[in-house]
Amino acid sequence: MDLEELEKQVTYLEDINEIENLQKMYGYYFDNAMFQEVIDLFSENTESVEITDHGVFRGKGAVVRMYGGMVGMKRPGWMFFEVMQSQGVIHISTDGRTATGRWYTPSFECRPFGGTKKQTWQFGVYDNEYIKENGRWYFKKLHWNLTYWTSFERGFLKVPRLSDTPFPHADAPATAYHPYPSGYRVPYPFKHPVTGE
Amino acid sequence: MNIEELEKQVQLQEDIQEIEHLQRIYGYYFDNNMWGEIVDLFSEEHSESVEIADHGVFYGKKGIRRIYWDMFAGGGQPRQSPPWMQFVVMQIGGVIDVSPDGTRAEGRWQTWLCEAKPYGAFPRQEWLHGYYENRYIKENGKWLFTKLHWNNTFCSPFEDGWLNLPLMGWMPLPDADDPPSAFHTYPDHVHNVPYHFRHPITGE
Repeated sequence: MDLEELEKQVTYLEDINEIENLQKMYGYYFDNAMFQEVIDLFSENTESVEITDHGVFRGKGAVVRMYGGMVGMKRPGWMFFEVMQSQGVIHISTDGRTATGRWYTPSFECRPFGGTKKQTWQFGVYDNEYIKENGRWYFKKLHWNLTYWTSFERGFLKVPRLSDTPFPHADAPATAYHPYPSGYRVPYPFKHPVTGE
Repeated sequence: MNIEELEKQVQLQEDIQEIEHLQRIYGYYFDNNMWGEIVDLFSEEHSESVEIADHGVFYGKKGIRRIYWDMFAGGGQPRQSPPWMQFVVMQIGGVIDVSPDGTRAEGRWQTWLCEAKPYGAFPRQEWLHGYYENRYIKENGKWLFTKLHWNNTFCSPFEDGWLNLPLMGWMPLPDADDPPSAFHTYPDHVHNVPYHFRHPITGE
């Protein structure tokens, strides 16, 4: 192997590491309601953000619209979202400029429901895209698919989702909202590592 | 890029990988009460401290032996606790930053725990969450812990959850060198564990 090939391989490993960190940092900012920091992780050329059934938000302007309302908003301590960014599988395009990532997210939550507080379990799958610009990785597309959103007490078998939460200011309705027990499988961005299919 | 620069970059990737494994191995030893093995994951000369939940701060390698070996392992006694007692600590979301000279590192992690412990005469099953902000050192080509700080977000009964009972009870250890430095569980946990890393885009 010559130096140039080796350099390419090293860059590839660095890219994977940087993308994994980007995704985990998104989680660490999200859990402390640091939404300006979250917005700054998105490329100016962002395609879209889609979270559960909130709908599709297109472009960087829409990213600001999606998260921006929450910037600086005081959230009571009991209202929380611990989203554990787990099991990332990252694939980088051959030209090294874009990437895909699939992740699992078990999470603990507590939110208001009418006048009461409700503790919930949530689980979902990310199917995200990333872009490298000026030597740094950014989010290009974020899509979080809800598997279940259930009350702590009752569980996903009895209550797969607590309510619908479409956002009125979305650009388009949700593209793939099929919670448990639909059997829906979020399409894999990657090919089978052995068969290549 | 010349071969020397490239070697440095490869070294960094290897270091990150090794530190991630160190942290996960800590978890796999912890799960099975392998306290002697855990003590050996800490630097002999440069260990700063260990702080777990509200147990208090234990300084230096001496303090590390005191908490893991003298207290958790009962000084090497055969394990007295029943097999249903369980501590599964899932080490999730490591973000590792290695110093430019490649000898020190910091890591943030979060953890999800499934535990079963006795409370008085009763076995209780519980859910826990917490954050690590840890430090590591490279000595003789190997990565070791110098500082471990696990901040507990909640420790709640399986049946009641974090909203109803964020903390099942206080567990300060009498042998600690200092009281806990930052123990504020849900719902007072917000911004309680400062980030060691800078924002990857804005640098702030």
